[in-house]
Amino acid sequence: MDFDDTPEEAAYRAKVRDYIAAHRGELMSVSEGGRRAVDLDAAKQHQSLMYDGGLVGVTWPKEYGGQGGTQMQQAIVNQEVAKAGLAGFIGVIGLGMCGPTVIAHGSDDQKSRYLGRLLRGEDVWCQLFSEPASGSDLAALRTKAVKTDSGSWRVNGQKVWTTLAHVSDYGILLARTDPDVAKHRGLTMFVVDMHAPGVTVRPLRQMSGVAEFNEVFFDDVEIPDEERLGEVGDGWRVALTTLMSERLSLGGGGTDVGTGLDAAAAHVAKRIGELPETRQALVRQEFGRQYAASLATRYTGYRQLSAISKGAMPGPEASAGKLAGTKTGRALADLGVRLLGDEAVYAITAEGDGRWQNSQAGLPGMAIAGGTDEILRNVLGERVLGLPPEPRADKGMSFNDSLRIGASE
Amino acid sequence: MNFDLSDEQRQLAAAAADFFTSAASPGAARASLDTGAPIEPGRKAMADTGFAAITIPESAGGGGGSVLDLAVVAEQAGRVLAGPSLVTAARAAVLLEDDADRLPALADGSAAYAVIEETGGPVLDATTADRFLALRDGALVAGGGSITERAPIDATRGLADVTLDDAEVVAKDGVARWERALQVGQVVLGAEGLGTASKALELGVDYAKQRVAFGRQIGSYQAIKHALVDAFVGVEQLRSLVWWAAWTAEESPAELPLAAAAVKGMAAVVLEKAAETLVQVHGGIGFTWEHDAHLYWRRAKVDRFLLGDDVEAFDTVARLAIAGAAK
Repeated sequence: MDFDDTPEEAAYRAKVRDYIAAHRGELMSVSEGGRRAVDLDAAKQHQSLMYDGGLVGVTWPKEYGGQGGTQMQQAIVNQEVAKAGLAGFIGVIGLGMCGPTVIAHGSDDQKSRYLGRLLRGEDVWCQLFSEPASGSDLAALRTKAVKTDSGSWRVNGQKVWTTLAHVSDYGILLARTDPDVAKHRGLTMFVVDMHAPGVTVRPLRQMSGVAEFNEVFFDDVEIPDEERLGEVGDGWRVALTTLMSERLSLGGGGTDVGTGLDAAAAHVAKRIGELPETRQALVRQEFGRQYAASLATRYTGYRQLSAISKGAMPGPEASAGKLAGTKTGRALADLGVRLLGDEAVYAITAEGDGRWQNSQAGLPGMAIAGGTDEILRNVLGERVLGLPPEPRADKGMSFNDSLRIGASE
Repeated sequence: MNFDLSDEQRQLAAAAADFFTSAASPGAARASLDTGAPIEPGRKAMADTGFAAITIPESAGGGGGSVLDLAVVAEQAGRVLAGPSLVTAARAAVLLEDDADRLPALADGSAAYAVIEETGGPVLDATTADRFLALRDGALVAGGGSITERAPIDATRGLADVTLDDAEVVAKDGVARWERALQVGQVVLGAEGLGTASKALELGVDYAKQRVAFGRQIGSYQAIKHALVDAFVGVEQLRSLVWWAAWTAEESPAELPLAAAAVKGMAAVVLEKAAETLVQVHGGIGFTWEHDAHLYWRRAKVDRFLLGDDVEAFDTVARLAIAGAAK
């Protein structure tokens, strides 16, 4: 057992560090204090510069402009990016989810048109899956794609919680092409041009006050048949590729949720002396519990990384890290806010620090996005512990028949 | 990065599982509680197999292994509520590490030690001990003792009140090794707790797959499923912490004090949650004397107070983390 890089990993890490250090001045930093609106041009330039250094598309095949590297190298890049305080990529959804889906299911023409521009940050992509009536139960989605006489598809419906849609050039869209078969079977995946007529994007403001995602409306949007990803009716299988890639790109790997453990320790160290002794003991009790839990989450991530380093793919057990990390991240954010004293009721302190308030308002979203805590518990219970599944009232029904469940007589 | 057990450690765990499942059981734990039957496997078998002497150097008749090796074995001991505790063996091995006479006797089982806490109080494995180690005015001392047995909650822990007699000095300046022994003991306690918690979880999951209510297996209800998953997440988090803390004992000693306290606290919380979930998932049968559930529950309710309680452990974690951040 050790926590050291292999000689190859160490050499790769040094290369990554050198590149970041050499270009630090031109690269974007993660924003502190309040969150800012995206400066699109700067964000694209940031990704392009990182791409030139071989730090974008690390695991993508070389033939599509990637580095042909390993998941471990990707994890090293993630760690070094976090350590240097660099901003994430504007192409985060494209790189983590849409691109891998195009690689797996796209035509040669789609691959050559889309992947290079996606990697360099020239096009931004979004993932159009969730809908107002289908969140956790994604396969129940209602957006319709109907084949026209000319062979193209006409799309009507609404998507929601779509990260980056307001700045996106393309999206991968999961739509229902056959409502008369079971819900999983009637879906098809498309690439949609977000600038096409009939696409309307409305930013959704979150409870944290920022608008990171959107609702997207499709009114008679035409999609050429060449923009289909995979076969008609095979959309659920294509979507599973996307969701598997999402798990890989979110795959924990021992990074902290929220403001980070070291920042929390520094904050407690700075503030605790101002409190009466009795309060100090309470703060230490809560902080000690969350510190221990955070270490456990970090080392659970390292166990996953070690498995990845040996060539394993992250399985459903990775959800345990997200559940635990979200819980401790929220508890630490709460402690961070409490320690602000009178300042705790304002969105930003007199000194201009809003990290704890932002975390407090942002982390409830972590318990929902990428699988709610409840869905993750179902996944862990059924796929890891082997417990029997929830009965499904729509099992074996066509999508159209399932719409009658819960409808008034 | 290679944060995983080695093949040798997996083989060691398998060998330990074979031994402990044949030599100890919740049934034996119940018999100890009911009739005062001997704690299984007992001191002799633990010494004969070499499991109790894993961390003692080969030159003194031990296994020459690491704390992590011992932790892997302790997890298996915890699964079947084995006693006496490997915590006691591990602590004594650290305290007597440079004692050419006492260490071989500890290794071959001819001397049966227990450790009296600095603050006094109940002594783990006292009922099977004939020698006691203690810290007196900064010196490590060893001697015989008078034991007062009390009504146990968990008989496998061999707890008793002890008065030390005729102690002789083992080491004049014993403070540093005392603290290290305590920390290693906390890690091994966490490893036993990991085994107990993961076995309790498995029993709960098995029952949730069999028991039917309202026409469904109860494990299909989210109320049951999610409770078991929360216990599972705790067990996996604890496993990571136990491995890391055990690794620090030899490989990163500066981190051991914080790691040991984190394990101590987290093991208390995770085991309690797993044991209480086990009882609850079983419903009425889980609340009976005949069922094994309460034996895991008893272990949880006692272990949380051994080698300091969880509240003290988390306070230590916080103090060390704050001191580290203030540097």
